[in-house]
Amino acid sequence: MMKNSNSIIEHFHHITENIHEYAKSLQSKGHLVAGYMCTHVPEEILYAAGIIPVRILSSHVSQAMTRSYMHETYCSFSHDCAYQGLTHNYDFLDLIVTSSSCIHMGEAFNVWVRFAGFQGKSFLIPYPHIIHTKPAVAFMVESFAEFKQFLEKFVNKSITDEDMERAIKTYNHTRRLLKQLWEFLRHEDSPITGSEVATVTLASQFMEKQEYNQLLEELIQKLESGPGHRLPGVRLMVSGGACDDLRIFDLIEHLDYSASLIFIDSCTAARYFWFEVPEDRADKLQAIAEGYINRIPCPAKDNVPGSGEKKRFRFIHQFIEGFKPDGVVLLYQRFCSPQPMDIVALKPILDRLGIPSIELELDTTLPRTQFQTQLEAFVEIITGVAP
Amino acid sequence: MAYTLKIWGEFKNYQSACYRNYAYASEGLRCMGSTWSPLAPLKGLGEDVLIIGGEPHAASTAGTFPEEGRDDIIAAEIAGLGFHSCSYLKLFVGEVVRDKIAITDGTIKEGYPRPDLIWTTHLCSQHSKWYQEVSRLLGGIPIYAIDMVGGGDAEKDPKIVNYVSNQIEKGIHWLERVTGRDFSDELFIKAVRNEIKVLVLWGNICSLNMHTPAPLDERRLIALFPPAMVDRTTDETVRIYEALLKEVRHMVETGQSVAPDQRYRIVYFGLAHTYGHPEMARILRDAGAEIVASVYTFGTAGNFKGIVNGNWTWDPIDPAWVDELDLSTRRKAITELAKIVLGWPTWQGVRSYWALESMARAMITQYNADGLLLAPSRSCETDFRNGYVGMQRIFKSEIPTVEYDSDQVDVRKMDLPGAKRKTELFVHLMEAHKKGGVR
Repeated sequence: MMKNSNSIIEHFHHITENIHEYAKSLQSKGHLVAGYMCTHVPEEILYAAGIIPVRILSSHVSQAMTRSYMHETYCSFSHDCAYQGLTHNYDFLDLIVTSSSCIHMGEAFNVWVRFAGFQGKSFLIPYPHIIHTKPAVAFMVESFAEFKQFLEKFVNKSITDEDMERAIKTYNHTRRLLKQLWEFLRHEDSPITGSEVATVTLASQFMEKQEYNQLLEELIQKLESGPGHRLPGVRLMVSGGACDDLRIFDLIEHLDYSASLIFIDSCTAARYFWFEVPEDRADKLQAIAEGYINRIPCPAKDNVPGSGEKKRFRFIHQFIEGFKPDGVVLLYQRFCSPQPMDIVALKPILDRLGIPSIELELDTTLPRTQFQTQLEAFVEIITGVAP
Repeated sequence: MAYTLKIWGEFKNYQSACYRNYAYASEGLRCMGSTWSPLAPLKGLGEDVLIIGGEPHAASTAGTFPEEGRDDIIAAEIAGLGFHSCSYLKLFVGEVVRDKIAITDGTIKEGYPRPDLIWTTHLCSQHSKWYQEVSRLLGGIPIYAIDMVGGGDAEKDPKIVNYVSNQIEKGIHWLERVTGRDFSDELFIKAVRNEIKVLVLWGNICSLNMHTPAPLDERRLIALFPPAMVDRTTDETVRIYEALLKEVRHMVETGQSVAPDQRYRIVYFGLAHTYGHPEMARILRDAGAEIVASVYTFGTAGNFKGIVNGNWTWDPIDPAWVDELDLSTRRKAITELAKIVLGWPTWQGVRSYWALESMARAMITQYNADGLLLAPSRSCETDFRNGYVGMQRIFKSEIPTVEYDSDQVDVRKMDLPGAKRKTELFVHLMEAHKKGGVR
């Protein structure tokens, strides 16, 4: 039992800064560890097979070597993830998995498989490019069945329905706890800041879930019993693509003006956990497929057939209503195509809601001064227009 | 002496007529979307269906009206689309923004013709976003995107075929609902057979380039495949491709070619990039080098046997097979259509590095190539840069291989001097390789 909420948050922070060390410690305890490159990978199936899923994230180290493996016009996140493979930082992994997600991350996966020695220990899960449709569920069930079969062969044991149900419940528990944590940010007084919530959420993407749940439960208990603090200044919401660079969230909360981060709509934050898999269903794969199909869609997969609607916008609207931001920071990786394509349609909606927005384009390293100036100018705009 | 194709005029006319009909028709059903969609379902709605497809239209507009194309791209960027987005997409959206349409017969029509519906596909991360944006700009055009899960041998995977078929089936109900028209299975099945036939015929025409001399060069291939992209569902398209196959077979039998000087045979992976492509072709031609096979011209609107026993083959499919296909019910026709569309080579490499490598290896062998030229397109994230840099690593020790950057239709992204230097270097490499100087 840790002393206070700060020491638990510090523990999570330490793990996010020492992912390899943490993952290797899992192996030393006898776990198999699988790297995954996209949050559409149904982690529950890996977990049910006794394998701990660890998300492959970037290192934020300036590098050029990937340019002779992948075209330079792929996003820096995918380049950085490919770099992790090419520099053999993850050689200890027992397996690497991805689902057919955006083209850029698919290319990073290909680099690992083709050039970084993972050919014999990899699996690509065919996954729909459009979610929120009925035909997609049936397709996912078949795809997940193939993945389960592969894993059974890999671990040399069958994965029972009990294993699956246990995994589903463990993961749902994580999701509920994370939602509870994020709920603190709805209020003007919160015992935790947005950047701390981002840190804790990022840690969930590579920690063993039971260990994580235990720690997170403890943290929430302590936060509930402790005093809240007024979240200072303007309330900023972030919406966009994968961002594992926690320094940007820290920057938002340490501008020369007072500002608080109150929500992050991205696959490294809310989109990772803002859904649940139905429990106690007879068909576990069907349940997982239904859960994943109802996620907040990644912009690369968001196109409701018949209407062309972008369903993610509904969620963004809900988050705006619930968390009441004064402004939205649209954050995406340089060269990403689906995120900026959504912004063209999202901006007029934000304008109609009277919420100012700003675009920040991420790269491998964080242009701190440049972003700080842009964010401070943004806060000036907000304070100028807010009532 | 270089051979002159007799059928060429009919190809040009077919393409222009399709665009003219779409742009100027006073009645009929205007359908927009990626021509990488199964088109036959649209034809089940009647005999007055007019189609405009994003990629071929953007490519031909840039070719016919380079200045207009540039202005369209800029207009799309001013409207908010990112610099790194697909330039076909931006050119297309730019026309909507500027409220005008330019077509291959050399005319520009003021007032963008509003489509009745959008029928498209989703495979790359931009494809369906493209039409979502067009729909939004035009005030909400009904849009149906079919998720195409590619990768290696998708057309042989029952799970994927079933998934795509189910979507097409639901899509047909959607088409009836949004148009208020009854769907004719008779018209649909006829269009399916035509669509499959044209794709198979084009595969056969391309396969004839395995001969020496290759009867067609890249320039003709680029010019000859658009009718199959623009609208491949009509009796007229079948007729012109059958006539072309006959003519090219005759060329092979008599040893004729449109570009007979073929000291070096090249396999090309890349698009017809509007800016710079003629310059590259000139450098190659001056050295007696011709592109005899390319995944773009062959595989964007052509079908081949694909993966057989774990390896790719560019062997053609017998056109007679199409006549024997059982298309007696709507579902059977949908399934065959899904298989043929999923089988397009350009899609197979998107999610599958091994399919891309296998395709390139087979093309080099079957077309007896002296070099592999790679031209990744800077703003085409799916087909025409995906895996190309890795391919250079793989093939450079086996065959002269050079890669230069290009872009579909955005002149700003074309490094012309660099591309020229690399193409010249490529010619030198092939010469040295042939002399035994380079291993």
